[in-house]
Amino acid sequence: MSLLHHRWLAEQIPAWEQEGIVTADGARRLRERYVVEPQGGLAQMVVGAVGALLIGTGLIAVLAYNWDDFPRWVRMALALGPLAASQAVSWWVLGKDEAAKPWQREAAALVQTLAAGAAMALVSQIYNLPGKWTDLVFWWCVVSVPLAWVLRSQAVAIAYLIGIAVWAVAQVTGRGFGFSGEGADVRLWYPLLLAGILPLWPGPELRERPASGSRLVLAATALLGLFAVATFAADRPAFWLTMLSAAAVLLFPLDRHGIAEPLARKPQVLLGGLALVAMALVATYEDPARHLVKSVGFALPLGWCWLLLAVVGGFALVAFRQGRFAVLAVAGLAVVPLLAAPLSGKDTSGWPVAIIYSFVLLATASALIAIEFLGRQGAARIGAALITLLVILRMADADVSLLVKGLAFIVIGVGFLGFNIFISRRRAALPGGPSA
Amino acid sequence: MKPALAVFALAAVAQWLLPLAGVWQHERVIARGTAVRIRCVAPDPYDPLRGRFLAVRPEENQVPKPAGMPERGDVPVWATLEAGDDGLSRIKSLSLEPVSGPTVIRLMARWQRWDQESKTVFVAWPFDRFYLNERLAPDADKLVAERFREGRARPVAEIRLLDGRAVLTDVLVDGTSIRDVVKQQAN
Repeated sequence: MSLLHHRWLAEQIPAWEQEGIVTADGARRLRERYVVEPQGGLAQMVVGAVGALLIGTGLIAVLAYNWDDFPRWVRMALALGPLAASQAVSWWVLGKDEAAKPWQREAAALVQTLAAGAAMALVSQIYNLPGKWTDLVFWWCVVSVPLAWVLRSQAVAIAYLIGIAVWAVAQVTGRGFGFSGEGADVRLWYPLLLAGILPLWPGPELRERPASGSRLVLAATALLGLFAVATFAADRPAFWLTMLSAAAVLLFPLDRHGIAEPLARKPQVLLGGLALVAMALVATYEDPARHLVKSVGFALPLGWCWLLLAVVGGFALVAFRQGRFAVLAVAGLAVVPLLAAPLSGKDTSGWPVAIIYSFVLLATASALIAIEFLGRQGAARIGAALITLLVILRMADADVSLLVKGLAFIVIGVGFLGFNIFISRRRAALPGGPSA
Repeated sequence: MKPALAVFALAAVAQWLLPLAGVWQHERVIARGTAVRIRCVAPDPYDPLRGRFLAVRPEENQVPKPAGMPERGDVPVWATLEAGDDGLSRIKSLSLEPVSGPTVIRLMARWQRWDQESKTVFVAWPFDRFYLNERLAPDADKLVAERFREGRARPVAEIRLLDGRAVLTDVLVDGTSIRDVVKQQAN
């Protein structure tokens, strides 16, 4: 059932209860089973956020334009004045407590966040302070995230997540160039900063969940940040650690409602799975496969690697107990290099691992299809798409004529479309059947 | 007080503390520090948060290695500057231990790993940019580039020093602030 159906059901239940169609207990159980997330005036929130964004950025641009014409104390006042004003507005909104409208909370939090960033940037500009702009982003994030907690601001939370991911990536990309100074260790800082979102999601009562768009940002930035940490930890491109990071994101534990949701509302599964499958597909070629197995060798002595392995192992155990076999099948792709490493010598060709990966991908795709036919939550279409992609890749490599390749592609395309029609009809025949 | 209000108050205070700490630290150096001038190069890049600036790089970036310099990593060092007859300061000595004096500046030093025979170390200065209004920055960059092509004197960074800390206060061309030179040219 889609969220629209959930919402429709929630609207009908009071009338059904009144007419005696369902009992009070039955109504309660239906509400628990088909949860409706509070919309909280989404349009209002977006309007509040856009308005705040325009005011904040406009203010910064206007102040910056006049810089050279003002003495230092005037510039200071202009930098800190908007911060004081925005803090006063936020205090007033906070004082209204539950009476504050979502757009008011959103706008107040975002304007204050922008004012805090502007104050720091302008002071830095006035005194010609050195340092990368991403260092400023770090401090901006640290002093702004409490606003996301107390004003329950999605926009500030999104800005925070993007900010910490950008900072983490900058720590890796800036490494090795010039003086590192007293640089931060992202292995420690990124997980700590990511945990900074916990007071908002799931919140102190463990009930708050991010809205759909925020989930996507959370999953995408967590993936990016963890990739950066993996590269930082290994001090070089860390193919296998990146795979483990994607597996951790893919397997992130969900509650019963989360598991029942469609794939489109689980971006961590979609993005983590896509990243893993993409890397596994790349590893079906000799050179990347060789590098992948090599990366196991330099990753294993690292503490970060063992931490990731423990997290992935723990998450996999939870997923197994919850019967999430489809995600487990995909996450299994990250284990292949670890198993293949002891069998590969120092100068061994990457072909054995590349061939193993082709077969493991085929097995994973078959498992995704089979799990659905066994009545569990699978992903038959994704499995079919993966098999199709594998065959196309292998056909593209094959030393056969263009005519044979063309005919093979037509046959694969027809087979794929036919399978999709079959799955659609099968799902339509099943009342409330599993989603892909 | 409700927990949310307490958290908000803490965040609000932190949002003031960060910029004000910078203001206090740098105002102190500007008000009480010793003025020093160093020759530098200054091209014009861009910072996405803070706008246009001249990237100020002192010419003197390689100095004799102090005794006991570690082989790896970036190390804080204390340099004593001495003004020459031309009024420009240069590094007189470098110490791995903190030293005091009106013209002492804390730098970061690195002994290049690939050149273990080298008798010198590279130093990074604690200032690298001079912010300019976006209208002035391109002209300032052009001015510096023209002077470089013509072989004329390089720009000079004017800094204030106090307790080893430095604040870049101006970039001078022939003794005049580059801001004023560019503004005069524009008029």
